[in-house]
Amino acid sequence: MTAPAEQTRRSPLYRALAEDGARFEALGDHAVARDFGRDAADEAARAEALGLADLTPLPRVGFKGWNAGPWLAQAGAEMGEASNRAYPQADGTRIARLAPGEALVLADRAGRGPLIESLRQAWSMAEADGCFHVARQETSCWLLLTGAHAAGMLAKVCAVDLRPGSFAADSIAQTNVARLNAIVIRGDIGAVPAFDLLADSASAVYLWGALLDAMAEHDGAPIGLAAIGALLERG
Amino acid sequence: MMERLPEPAGLLLDRSEPVAFSFEGRRYQGFRGDTVASALAANDVTVLSRSFKYHRARGIHSLSGLDANTLVQVGPAPNRFADREPLAAGLVVTGQNYWGTLRHDRMAVFGLLHRFFPAGFYYKAFYKPRWTWPLWARMIRRIAGLGSVDTAAPHGYFDKQYLFCDVLVVGGGAAGLAAASQAAAAGAEVVLVDENAALGGALLHGRFDAGGVRTADTRTALAGEVEADERISVMTETACLGWYADNWLPLVRGNRLYKLRTKALVVATGCLEQPLVFRNNDLPGVMLASAAQRLIKLYGVRPGRRAVVATASDDGYGAALDLLDAGVEVAAVVDLRTDAPRSGVGDALAARRVPVHAGAAPWEAVPQRKGPGIARVRVAKIVEDGVCAPTVDSFTCDLLVVSGGQAPAAALLRQAGAAIAYDSRRQTTRIDALPAGVFAAGGVVGAAGLDGVIADGRRAGWQAAAHAGLDAGPEPAAAPDGDAPATAKGVWPIFPHPDHKAFVDFDEDVQVHDLEDAIAEGYDHVELLKRFTTNGMGPSQGRHSSLNAVRVLARATARSVDETGATTVRQPIVPVTMGHLAGRSFEPVRYTAMHFRHLEAGATMMPAGLWLRPEYYGEPARRQALIREEAKNVRDNVGIIDVSTLGGLDVRGPDAAEFMNRMYTFAYLKQPVGRSRYVLMTDLGGVVVDDGVACRMHEDHFYVTATTSGVDNVYREMLWYNAQWRLKVDVSNVTAALAGVNIAGPNCRAVLETLCDDVDISPEGFPYMGVREGHVAGIPALFLRVGFVGELGYELHVPASQGEALWDALLEAGRAHGIRPFGVEAQRLLRLEKGHIIIGQDTDGLTTPHEADMAWALAKKKPFHVGIRSVRMQAEKGLTRRLVGFEMPGVGVEQPKECHLVIREGEITGRVTSVAYSPNLDRIIGLAYVAPDQGEPGTRIEIRVDGGRMVSATVAKLPFFDPDGARQEL
Repeated sequence: MTAPAEQTRRSPLYRALAEDGARFEALGDHAVARDFGRDAADEAARAEALGLADLTPLPRVGFKGWNAGPWLAQAGAEMGEASNRAYPQADGTRIARLAPGEALVLADRAGRGPLIESLRQAWSMAEADGCFHVARQETSCWLLLTGAHAAGMLAKVCAVDLRPGSFAADSIAQTNVARLNAIVIRGDIGAVPAFDLLADSASAVYLWGALLDAMAEHDGAPIGLAAIGALLERG
Repeated sequence: MMERLPEPAGLLLDRSEPVAFSFEGRRYQGFRGDTVASALAANDVTVLSRSFKYHRARGIHSLSGLDANTLVQVGPAPNRFADREPLAAGLVVTGQNYWGTLRHDRMAVFGLLHRFFPAGFYYKAFYKPRWTWPLWARMIRRIAGLGSVDTAAPHGYFDKQYLFCDVLVVGGGAAGLAAASQAAAAGAEVVLVDENAALGGALLHGRFDAGGVRTADTRTALAGEVEADERISVMTETACLGWYADNWLPLVRGNRLYKLRTKALVVATGCLEQPLVFRNNDLPGVMLASAAQRLIKLYGVRPGRRAVVATASDDGYGAALDLLDAGVEVAAVVDLRTDAPRSGVGDALAARRVPVHAGAAPWEAVPQRKGPGIARVRVAKIVEDGVCAPTVDSFTCDLLVVSGGQAPAAALLRQAGAAIAYDSRRQTTRIDALPAGVFAAGGVVGAAGLDGVIADGRRAGWQAAAHAGLDAGPEPAAAPDGDAPATAKGVWPIFPHPDHKAFVDFDEDVQVHDLEDAIAEGYDHVELLKRFTTNGMGPSQGRHSSLNAVRVLARATARSVDETGATTVRQPIVPVTMGHLAGRSFEPVRYTAMHFRHLEAGATMMPAGLWLRPEYYGEPARRQALIREEAKNVRDNVGIIDVSTLGGLDVRGPDAAEFMNRMYTFAYLKQPVGRSRYVLMTDLGGVVVDDGVACRMHEDHFYVTATTSGVDNVYREMLWYNAQWRLKVDVSNVTAALAGVNIAGPNCRAVLETLCDDVDISPEGFPYMGVREGHVAGIPALFLRVGFVGELGYELHVPASQGEALWDALLEAGRAHGIRPFGVEAQRLLRLEKGHIIIGQDTDGLTTPHEADMAWALAKKKPFHVGIRSVRMQAEKGLTRRLVGFEMPGVGVEQPKECHLVIREGEITGRVTSVAYSPNLDRIIGLAYVAPDQGEPGTRIEIRVDGGRMVSATVAKLPFFDPDGARQEL
């Protein structure tokens, strides 16, 4: 266990998480909420019903520009031509293709992302020539919404039809959530519906509060990496 | 409490759960499942409200939440429909719009004075003599309006939700249920919406066969089919507010507004039973047949003891049978028709020996002498449409049930663009054509007979599913013959009386003669007539009055009803609260990485766009002193300010310098790497819109700052122009990615030296306007040597996630040097001393670079930047105003405020844009626009301050402080 303020990097949500009883563990030079003091089964049950996790500390990186696609491909990323789709990678990372010339690379839900690190190492202005690094690690907070009620809850804050039958696995909506520009990616964990939300990091506290308020109707609650891990283990 | 009828009457009641409530201060009891209106009816309370104009006693009319007769105050909420309001324990209900008591309203005197209140009287009265208007206004305001708003009422929680489906069915009657089932059977995701507490529509209360058995059985079967189907989401007690483009429909249930988008819409809203118009047709005890049937079947309430039924169709016969079954004596059935075809319900009624008076009409409801209700009904033979013979029969009764035929509830279809005509034979409207994606079924499109309605619903559901792209299979079978009742010719339902009180519109007390008088005055267009008489403008929105008003107009102008037209039916179709429209408000707010550190330090926060910034730190009672202390500490020592809200943009690519050169007024092609340069942006009109600095990080990379509130617009403009110019440039908004701190003051270098070991921050190694990359307290940082506050200073831009750690490290390292944070107000004072302008405060929507004395920021030789043509034209035309500095003594004068006017010989020549007392300079300093010839230093200008007083100031050379810039270039 660790305290977020002991780390140099801090999620904009660490205070909100602490107020909800989060217990933190170190993840690189970040602290990430592991659980909220409940037993593992309870945490997992909440994640299955309606849970909200702060994945902001987890690695991610963006690239854009007219040469983004080719450069990412030569750097080892595998993605199709279609935009607004997430492409799972062999190492567990996902590449969210936001446009023909823009991509967002997300670590897996445990925070592992070898591809991200190798892309960071490989990239330079000169080498990439028309592919530009985007500081997604800083510009965007990363939230994960899980559970059977997730799509129904999102209907209170987002105008896009995110029901499972309409918004297929790995679909991406670049839309508005609670009046914030947001990227919504469907990334179920096994049989549990899940949505990654990436939005303005400076508005993270606002968004966190707005989502929890909307979740209250379904008894939604914050969850930590332990609950997500439990879902991942079940597959 | 009146004894309720035995089951199966009272379908909606839970008789095991009594519910106590109060109305007008008296305690009553009903059952769970009751509405306020049904519970009051069960307690023999017949007066629910007072009419708007004449304060006439009003009671149950439709019992369907569609008329203003039942508007009551429920706790803090005014204008609730008592026939929609679910009964709840402890509910405190009162009447509205009376003076005295609901039973004895003193303002009922207006009814006696009705001759002085003709239609549109308020357009003609109160104006002469003019001095009387304030008196009238006061009185009118006192008596106008319905209900009272409790401003101390707690806020309700309202919110909104989006919904999506393949097929939306509005209306849960026979047609709607059948349509929903059929569409779901084709695989459609269906939402079925009904405003009532239970599915069934007219099946809940109507009587479609003589025995009265088939109706309930059909409802049970259809509703069961729907409720068992997982593809159908049933939303009862849900109102559809209207239709909008692309099948977007708002729905209201509870405290939530749903915004539903559907691929196909089935409107199965049925019909609205229409009233008859005759003298005193508004008395309590006169109600629609469907209302009486609802009382009986839904709530187990006997609507009266002795009834007369007046009807223009077979519907009244069904109601009469229901009344008989409920133990009500039916004195007579008055059938407006002379040629009513034989029907099962007619035969059943004859078998029960109820006298039927064909070709007759209710001529007058005679009020009780001492009560609010009716004593008897006078019935006359109809001679021709709307005209009765003088001979009358009289029937003693306490209940007059009326049924003036059915009008399609076609508001949604009208809004969707359906072609609707008037069927003069049947005396009702008819749907001729529907737009794509909109389907209609059942009574609203004239389907008749239970089998016919169900078959029509299945047909519409099938069509809707197919339209939604589903394989709907073969078309469902049509209805078997023989079920539909013969469609008799409609009858004229309006019988004006020489003594008036024949009401067309109950909401606004509009009588037949009011309409006729208005038409005679020239208001002979349906929309004009509506507005002049207010017919249909009340809460009922003309559901029971518009058709009759059009009939009156058509007859008066010798046109057909079809030619006369109909008024527009706008959204919302049913009343909606402001809470629903407002919903849960989403108001994003942006916090910097150091936000909570500011709060912990006692900052008072102020909005800056969507951001919150510290205005100053400490007790609000010491605001001025604190601001001055913070500023002084920067001048004397060292301070830090959070500048994370400044915009940040990355401009990258081989054409980055060219792009910058086009976007901003200065020259950037030869800007060295590692240096920053001021940027000034103008729009196409040559108006100053933003400023900042451009840091050249690389030959192909500029990091550009922008103002807090301007960065989004700058970013948008950059994308817009780049899309046109197609340069090899990428633009990214990195505002949120970076936290920024400006550390300034003579001791700031000493503080930084303790935290930074990979950047040479000596004056020689890092000159003014230089840019470096390195680390502060181990945090990767971009260093900008800037001088906005006029002191040695560095802006440190670091990853936002490390902003708080940077802030902590700087405060810790600076403790020995007396470092303290300063807020926006201190920064404003410091920059004013340096004469630096703030875009948006010292500029407005017309300010040009030359007016702002910023010609120095215009590159003279380059061929283009956005707005260059306008800027050069302005330069040629000359100035009409100038932004200058001014100063005044620090004591003994009244300090002007921002936007106070500069006046010369009675003419406005400019205004103050910034002003403050500078303790550092011990005088008042400011910036102001003045006439061009007032701009020379030493010129006296006059400023009009609060109260119209004039104060003198002297134009001063800028900057006020450290004119050589020695302090910032230490």
